[in-house]
Amino acid sequence: MSKSDVVVIGNGVAGLMAALVSADQGKKVTLLSYGAGTFPLNSGVIDVLGYDDAGKAVANPIEGIGRTADNHPYKKIGMPAVQDAVEYFKKTVADEGFPYVGSLKEQQWLITSVGTLKPTCLLPESLQASKCFDANEIVIVGVKGLKDFYVDMVAENLAKELGSDKKYTTVTVDTYITGRDLTTRDVARWVESDKGYGEFLAQIKNQAGSGKAIIVPQILGTKGNYVVYNKLVKDLGCAVVETTGMPPSVNGIRLRDVLLSALKKKGIRVIENVIAEKAVVKGDTVTAVEAGGEVRAQTYEADKFILATGGFYSGGITMRDFGEYKEMVFGLPVEGDCVEERWVNKQLFSDKKQAFAMAGVRVDSSLRAVDESGNVVLKNVYVVGRNLSGYDFCFEHSGNGVALTSAYKAAKA
Amino acid sequence: MELEERARDTADNCIACTSCIAACPVTKANPEYKGPKLVGPAHSRMHFSDPSDYEDTLMLCSNCKNCDITCPNGVSVSTLNMLERAKYLQEHPEAHRPEDEMLSHSFKMANMLNSIPFGKQIANLGMTIGEATGMMGVMGIAPERKTPRFAATYFRDMFKNIKQPASDKKVLFFPGCYIDTNDPEVGVAFVQVMNENGYEVLMDNRFVCCGSPLVVGGYIDEARQHADTNVAVIQEYASRNIPVIACCTSCSLMLKNEYTELFAQSEMKEAAQNVWDAFEFLAKLDAEGKLKKVAANSSHKFIYHAPCHLRAQGVGLPAFDLLKSAGLNIVNADAGCCGMSGSYGFHKDNYETSMKVGKDLFDAINSDNYHKVVCDCGTCRMQIEHGTDTKSVHPIQILAKCYKKS
Repeated sequence: MSKSDVVVIGNGVAGLMAALVSADQGKKVTLLSYGAGTFPLNSGVIDVLGYDDAGKAVANPIEGIGRTADNHPYKKIGMPAVQDAVEYFKKTVADEGFPYVGSLKEQQWLITSVGTLKPTCLLPESLQASKCFDANEIVIVGVKGLKDFYVDMVAENLAKELGSDKKYTTVTVDTYITGRDLTTRDVARWVESDKGYGEFLAQIKNQAGSGKAIIVPQILGTKGNYVVYNKLVKDLGCAVVETTGMPPSVNGIRLRDVLLSALKKKGIRVIENVIAEKAVVKGDTVTAVEAGGEVRAQTYEADKFILATGGFYSGGITMRDFGEYKEMVFGLPVEGDCVEERWVNKQLFSDKKQAFAMAGVRVDSSLRAVDESGNVVLKNVYVVGRNLSGYDFCFEHSGNGVALTSAYKAAKA
Repeated sequence: MELEERARDTADNCIACTSCIAACPVTKANPEYKGPKLVGPAHSRMHFSDPSDYEDTLMLCSNCKNCDITCPNGVSVSTLNMLERAKYLQEHPEAHRPEDEMLSHSFKMANMLNSIPFGKQIANLGMTIGEATGMMGVMGIAPERKTPRFAATYFRDMFKNIKQPASDKKVLFFPGCYIDTNDPEVGVAFVQVMNENGYEVLMDNRFVCCGSPLVVGGYIDEARQHADTNVAVIQEYASRNIPVIACCTSCSLMLKNEYTELFAQSEMKEAAQNVWDAFEFLAKLDAEGKLKKVAANSSHKFIYHAPCHLRAQGVGLPAFDLLKSAGLNIVNADAGCCGMSGSYGFHKDNYETSMKVGKDLFDAINSDNYHKVVCDCGTCRMQIEHGTDTKSVHPIQILAKCYKKS
């Protein structure tokens, strides 16, 4: 196979963004992918920094970033790259017809599928919770047969968040689809069809009106655009807000499709269903990675490699025995507490970070792996996203933010 | 020898992330189908509690393998479905559809017809009459479809008359049923391309159907016999350093991956090392600088459809890359599964789902004035010609034509 300028390994938010930014530098890019990335589990919004180290909500992400610890990825990425990356992302999705709202200066909010509010930085307009903050009456729309969306629970929790001075009503619509239990994607497909939209509108129209806001699960179309959303807002004459949803996440897949569409336009070659197995190393330089399916590996040569294989969940970092974290492709140095008694905080929903979640590749400000003395290990390998050490994205709500900004910096390097 | 790592044990790797449900084209098209996660990984674990407890919508799976391609945790989802389906049909023989026997065993009919004078012509005439009189529907075959006609001369017989330059470099061709008995020109083109590159092509008539149609029909024991027969031949040639090459991506996937996944035998895993998809092999030659230079000078515009069974192999899109770098004006449709999935779309009950699945691809093909659709898979090509007015061609035929012109 002909040599690429850049090989990106991994196809989550970090991998796709690294490939896009690299291609924008005029590079010939090959992306090695295995599985769907994290998108079906991903809300598809960009959390930059939701909570600080004390677990306190961050009102202004850019100030929050300034207060992170020195070993946090954001400190290595640096503020200019963070700001440029956010602008780059906003332009990319807008060019694809799916503009996101929000900025680094002010936290946004979205409504979860259980009716709580969650901070985020960039999100699709249809998920922007603030649209319902001024409404007098909140109408929560459920769907018959839809798994994991309970209108009464949403109403109860939303009343706690938005105040009980508002009126909360619920309505449940019927899709008339028979067969299995429905997922939000099934319902989204129904709503984006002409027939389904008509049936849906007829069942909620009399609930709408000025001063009201309509809350729906993530069902306003499967595609990364606002066609269904805009139409519904117009037809109902009031605010409409989508919640996040249970997997498979409609909006996560919308974002993936939008990014893949951008990738395709830039002529990026995507190799599916391959696991990067090992690197071909000459001195301190990687000349190729070997990646393949079950039977045999192929050699993918490049001048530069960007590692975006993820953490424990994605298999980018593993620990077979205590004391031995391992990065799977290049064998890069992983830092983090891996002592049996401390690597995991057994209280999953506590106010403490998880040691295993903080474990990752030790990098310098160029995002290249460094040994304990700070010397770069492999000079043309860059590390992005959850492969990085020093942050617990679940705790602080920074997953896609670190993915996006580190990918941007590495691709620009 | 039984392998320690068995695909059927990968059900425990499933973390219920639902990626496969999101990627499954049948789930999208048919609200009855409970989706790959439930009928494959989940059910293959649960049925141990009660052997008669089966999820009967597993019959709706097309074995297209988009679940496997999308799974981030290495679960052999579709193989689990197929193993479950085989067990289900053993417990519930009444669930077999009348056309299963025929659609899974078309190689038997093809072989028989070749031994009768004018057998193929008579069978083709029979199909024409059957289609005109609605008999196909009665037999359980989708009446909207044109059933593939038998070639007047099968590739196995054509091959005997092809004069090849002798060479020390040899490859063994695995034609597969469709190329052998329905579309032999693909085989002829393959021999031409290999000859141009200094290879002599061998055939071995001990090869039998790869078994893919048997697996989807639930005839798992027969499929195992086919696997053992083919693996023994592949191993024999492996010992002589002669690689085995298939032009049909479903055959190559079966020989390379599915035998091992389904039956977990070490011999199958070893044999797989000696099997190549045609363009995977040509791409390797190209990477080694050994592929004879080729230039495509066509003024026409082409569109490529990547078969799911090629995408599942983890080798990229070697035919698309090679033709593009040869200068062919070609775009990648990138529109998902065609909906045919081997014999799946031929079942009358599956026809509607099959056409719904293919709609995105048909739309992509119809979106521009493409000269031809290029696709490595025979049944995908049938579906494309059924769903659009555009003719289709195997990439090896384009390559052969380019060599001929130069």
